[in-house]
Amino acid sequence: MFDDLDPQEFEDTARTVIESCAQAPSAAERGKLLAEAGLLGVIAPEDVGGLGLSTRFAAPILRAAGEGCLAYPLIETLLLSKALADTDAELAARICSGETVATIAWLGTDAGADLGGAPMGCQAEHVLIFSADGTAVLAPIANAVRAVETHSFDIDVPEAEIHVSGAFKGVELDLATVEKLRSDARMLRAAFIHGAAANCLKMASDYAQDREQFGKLLSANQALRHRLSRDALVLETMRNAIIRAQSVRDDDVEMARNAAWLCSAQSGPAIAESAIQVFGGMGFTWEVPLHRHLRQMRAQARYGGAALELDQLGDAIIAGTANPWYAEIADAA
Amino acid sequence: MTSVSPLEAGTPGQTGAYAAQAYQWLKQNLNDRLRTDRCLDQPASLEEKIRFEAAQHRAGLAGITWPKEYGGHGLTLREHLEANREIGRAPMPNAINSIGKELAGPIIMAVGNERQKSTYLPAILSMENIWCQGFSEPGAGSDLAALRTKAERTADGWRINGQKIWTSGASKSSRCMLLARTGAREDRHKGLVLFAVPMSSPGITVREIQSIDGDRSFCEVFFNDVIVDEAEMLGAPDEGWAAASRVLSIERATNRMYRAWRFESELDHLIAACRSDNAAFAIMKGYRRELAQCRVEVELIKGHVETLVDDLLAGQQIGPRGSFPKLYWSESHQRFAQIAYEIVSRFPPGANQALKDLRARMEGIYLSSRAETIYAGTTEIQLDIIAKRILNLKKAA
Repeated sequence: MFDDLDPQEFEDTARTVIESCAQAPSAAERGKLLAEAGLLGVIAPEDVGGLGLSTRFAAPILRAAGEGCLAYPLIETLLLSKALADTDAELAARICSGETVATIAWLGTDAGADLGGAPMGCQAEHVLIFSADGTAVLAPIANAVRAVETHSFDIDVPEAEIHVSGAFKGVELDLATVEKLRSDARMLRAAFIHGAAANCLKMASDYAQDREQFGKLLSANQALRHRLSRDALVLETMRNAIIRAQSVRDDDVEMARNAAWLCSAQSGPAIAESAIQVFGGMGFTWEVPLHRHLRQMRAQARYGGAALELDQLGDAIIAGTANPWYAEIADAA
Repeated sequence: MTSVSPLEAGTPGQTGAYAAQAYQWLKQNLNDRLRTDRCLDQPASLEEKIRFEAAQHRAGLAGITWPKEYGGHGLTLREHLEANREIGRAPMPNAINSIGKELAGPIIMAVGNERQKSTYLPAILSMENIWCQGFSEPGAGSDLAALRTKAERTADGWRINGQKIWTSGASKSSRCMLLARTGAREDRHKGLVLFAVPMSSPGITVREIQSIDGDRSFCEVFFNDVIVDEAEMLGAPDEGWAAASRVLSIERATNRMYRAWRFESELDHLIAACRSDNAAFAIMKGYRRELAQCRVEVELIKGHVETLVDDLLAGQQIGPRGSFPKLYWSESHQRFAQIAYEIVSRFPPGANQALKDLRARMEGIYLSSRAETIYAGTTEIQLDIIAKRILNLKKAA
């Protein structure tokens, strides 16, 4: 029934809603606005109040969120409303409607004492806690599970630590559901970073065409033109990687998703850093919002464990290749 | 060479079917002498490579998108991409006639007349005619509009005087796609004309230039009162620049579409060969992060290529966006080549044959990759194109 939907229209709607979110006083208010526009349940099934669409439709929304520095755990909300649909439809529906704020503790597992990297954990009622065995539990934040505001690199979406003291209960997600959630998370993060980076490049190129120095526009200097062109190349690379990851054939999809995610995690912050350089001294001030984008992108890269994933990919690569042309080269014993 | 059963030209089968047939054919026909991952005393001769390339066409691996009436297979860019994935994965030599297939052919199809199309195009695919590209000059490399080679109309035909350089494969070519000037140098883009010049014409001298990788593919070509028949002119006298620049933007975007898969295959070769020896494996392990990065970049090149193919199939113009894939693959392949060189340079003496083959290949790739950020428009030119035509950055208020 949604065959005729256009992801671009989602981006336009999302952009307008996210602009109003910037004026909303609390996370709950922002949740309400996002839910009213139907943005929280885009990938959740219809029976929990979602639209049941693929991540291809979530990507433009995340792009708009990244562009607009959205202060809401949107990635977590989208993922949980989908992942919970089979096991706790009621809770999934509440998350979809913005009534309940839920988040995910991205760093650490229940095997350790403390978990971290829970965006807006202090405003949330539930937190997803990963288990060491690859499954996860969505626990209510109460009693044994506490959220404590912590040092946060991202100032728009403050991070909480989750302290677990004793046994806790909640909705359990199995291994396959958690794997799917993590894979979808990569796509959503990539799209979010793409939006943030696009805004940084736009701000930098607008500024370069506005600011005069030594009697000429900054944008007349080849050094700056080439810097901005390189950033445009990186942005286009990110864009194409995200498009490809959403359309590629089954057997290549995880590698394509990993590449889109790792490219965004590495290059998004670099575009923000470059934009700060173009703005000169102004870029280093709190007034220019480039640092907010930079902080958000770096936080996403950290929550997603980009550096670790590159190491793991390295291990997987040197473990061997399936290329039939080199099958005849024998491994050393 | 084993016999070839041509692929069925017509509506494409299920996804992957074309690729599977391409792989089967390559597996049967790419012998050790032709393989680029072998360091043999006697690699394939030019003649053998030409025969192999002609057979590729008969097997449906070249001229895939060209119309059937001109010897092509009449399929879409989708099948072209599918076949190119397999071509890339295989350690096979680069096409001898890539200029013919990827530059001359598309230009002739765009501006040539019917006679030119029906004579030149099939001869390119059958390898009867190998083409070279007479664009660059000593004073006009990336700045093509500065070229000086002159074409004057005379009673006998056009008289050509001038010099071309970096003309890959000129010494083995039978035709040259020549860009020459009919007007004054100050006209820049105006008054440029294209010719299909027979390389056997009196007055043409070719001198080979040895390149950094030891190859002698580059040439200087001198035109001294060369008379070219009016019938060899491609398009109108003022259409040269338009045709050349249109084709160059497509060239940057889609030529050697197999690059990402070839690059992946080189990485696969590096991994497989390093795994054949414990010491080499230990060296490779120290580079696991860099290799992971290379693998990611392979995917990102695929992203550039595949989204462009989708856009082209959807009827969109590529224009300046062709600079993105060109820039990206050239620099990313250089990064890989540097890492690969560093790894093989640390191999202990007395390595096994797989490591010797690998070292020879990676040294060659390292050297030849230096040209990749220079040819088809330097990195700096691509960055200028993006700044001016994509970001629309102003130079004055």
